[in-house]
Amino acid sequence: MIVKKRARIVEKISTGIEGFDDITGGGLPRGRTTLIMGGPGCGKTVLVLQALVNAATRHGVPGIFVSFEENAELVEENAESFGWDMVELQKKLLYFLNAQLTPDAVKVGEFDLTALLAGLEAKATEMGAKLVVFDALDVLLSLLDDWAAERRELYRIQAWLKRTGLTGILTTKTEEDKSPTAPRYGFMPFMADAVVVLRQRVIDRVAVREMRLVKYRGSPHVLNEVPFVIGEDGVEVGASNGIHPEPQPFKMRVSTGIDRLDGMLEGGIYRGTNVLITGSAGTGKSMLSGLFLEAACRRGERALFVSFDENSRDIVRDLSSVGVRLAPHLKSGLLHIEAVRTEAASSEEHLIRIKRLIREHKPACIAVDPFSALVKVGGELAARNVAERLIYLCRNERITAFLTSLIEGTDVTLETTPLHISTLADSWLQLSYSLHGGERNRALTIIKSRGSKHSNQMRELIFSDSGITLTDPYTAGGEVLMGTLRIEKENAVRTLAERKRHEVDHKRREVELILAARDLRLAGTQRDLLDCSEELDTLARAEMTITSEGTQRQDAVVRKRDNELVKEQANGAKPAGGKPRKRSKAAGKQP
Amino acid sequence: MSRSATASSQPLPGAYVFRIYIAGGQPNSVRALANLYTLCRQHFPESHRIEVIDILKEPMRALAEAILVTPTVVKVSPAPEQQMIGNLNDENEVLRALGLPRTKTS
Repeated sequence: MIVKKRARIVEKISTGIEGFDDITGGGLPRGRTTLIMGGPGCGKTVLVLQALVNAATRHGVPGIFVSFEENAELVEENAESFGWDMVELQKKLLYFLNAQLTPDAVKVGEFDLTALLAGLEAKATEMGAKLVVFDALDVLLSLLDDWAAERRELYRIQAWLKRTGLTGILTTKTEEDKSPTAPRYGFMPFMADAVVVLRQRVIDRVAVREMRLVKYRGSPHVLNEVPFVIGEDGVEVGASNGIHPEPQPFKMRVSTGIDRLDGMLEGGIYRGTNVLITGSAGTGKSMLSGLFLEAACRRGERALFVSFDENSRDIVRDLSSVGVRLAPHLKSGLLHIEAVRTEAASSEEHLIRIKRLIREHKPACIAVDPFSALVKVGGELAARNVAERLIYLCRNERITAFLTSLIEGTDVTLETTPLHISTLADSWLQLSYSLHGGERNRALTIIKSRGSKHSNQMRELIFSDSGITLTDPYTAGGEVLMGTLRIEKENAVRTLAERKRHEVDHKRREVELILAARDLRLAGTQRDLLDCSEELDTLARAEMTITSEGTQRQDAVVRKRDNELVKEQANGAKPAGGKPRKRSKAAGKQP
Repeated sequence: MSRSATASSQPLPGAYVFRIYIAGGQPNSVRALANLYTLCRQHFPESHRIEVIDILKEPMRALAEAILVTPTVVKVSPAPEQQMIGNLNDENEVLRALGLPRTKTS
């Protein structure tokens, strides 16, 4: 069997920089040379410094930083500002070399970099360094007379790196405006195994940083330009390639904060999923977001409200007008409201900020309102990328998210989202205005909800002092009734019911009356019956008395007579009582 | 490694003291060394001292003394210290850096 030998893939050193290891497929090529190019202020130094610091702190890999331009102390200070403990690191794992020539050094002929390289080699051996950074190599090269000399020295560095087996990272400045015509710009990428170009652009007056992996010998890599930011923790690259791990969806349901909406969704939304709420201005997206978070806080969960272009106080006030009370939860610390100015940063920076908030506040529920504000800055493509990554982040962190999206215009049939994230969203609620009968009524439709059956009916959304709710659906002629029409319908239904109730009431009273009358009559009859039987008794008694008196009188006469005769006479007198006669006194009161 | 190039090991008062950093037998280093000897013989035949440091043999000194390139020549005295980088082929620059008059031969 012939086994095809796979090409050896370059061994890599992880930089530990979020996103950067993704686009490079694992980091920088081990034992090779990487070149970082970019204009001034692009973040070259921070990037390489971070790679060095991460290698040292996370993997215990010692490294050397050679600074040709900036004073090493400044670089250290810069590093400290990102929270990297340079003092501790420099005890063992990091070595900083100030490699600036004294300014009054005079050039008196040809020279080369042997001294520096020999010194570094000795140092690297001494401390066991695996990584070496040459920061601002262009400054060093500019000391050389001609480009042939530059080329020669670059070869020298390359050969040196190869021989020592060190992983080299070189940075060099490129002029923003000028095309890279200087020979070194052409030659340096050629000699390097991996080349990263950093760029800073201004889109809509917002500065955006981007990087592109121009070349990576012997390794698959992402060629696209990807955004990156320099945040408080250093560089973060906005890479969204590759497959994101999908956590097992929660089986638990979470309330949306509106009972009736939960009902429409079979008991709420799944925990850890996201809900996209789209709608034009004023349809109630913020209200729904607020309500959702209030419900979360009432369950004792931590919640985060990221609001673009509206400050915290206004949000609390606006929501309290519809009965959503956020203030107590803000006070208790369960809820955090972060008001963000859209134009203050690029969408990438916003994401970093939201990420940090999530890390710090650890919310179970989050609302970003409006999520579509991200589009306003830094271009749509970048924003979409950011949106995607935020959704993935929430999913991975199992945070239930409400993301709102503003739809411009009032076309209710418009069901597209500016970020095209509707396919990513787990549930999608559409808020709209229904224009009918000269009215504008808020309406809510569930467009989709993954993994649950849901009502397909449009409902009217009612905001009142006492809260937010959805009405019962009233349909007429194939249309859902809203506003006045709904109220009319409701009234009509109510009137009808009222009338029915009246009718029944009336009937009941009538029947009761009849019943009472009959009872009365029945009682009379019974009394008559009783009277009759009593009279009958009296009569019987009277008869008995008469009979016995007669008998006594005859006794004296008959005593002397035959016993049998006496008996016959007494028996014959007894059955003379007769039947009781009926009286018809109360017969005139028949109904 | 250092060696004195003067006859007497004691530097005279007001003597020129140079330190030259070289990289073994590399052409530029060899040339620099030769140029420095010539310069010293021409300008201060009686009062100079040259200390030669081979970076390939003492590499840590390069870092400790902030020497990035070879050859590098440092005029240690008289004060102030003056650093020159290169093989000293550019004689005019060398003389100007050292504050010496141009030689008649050049």
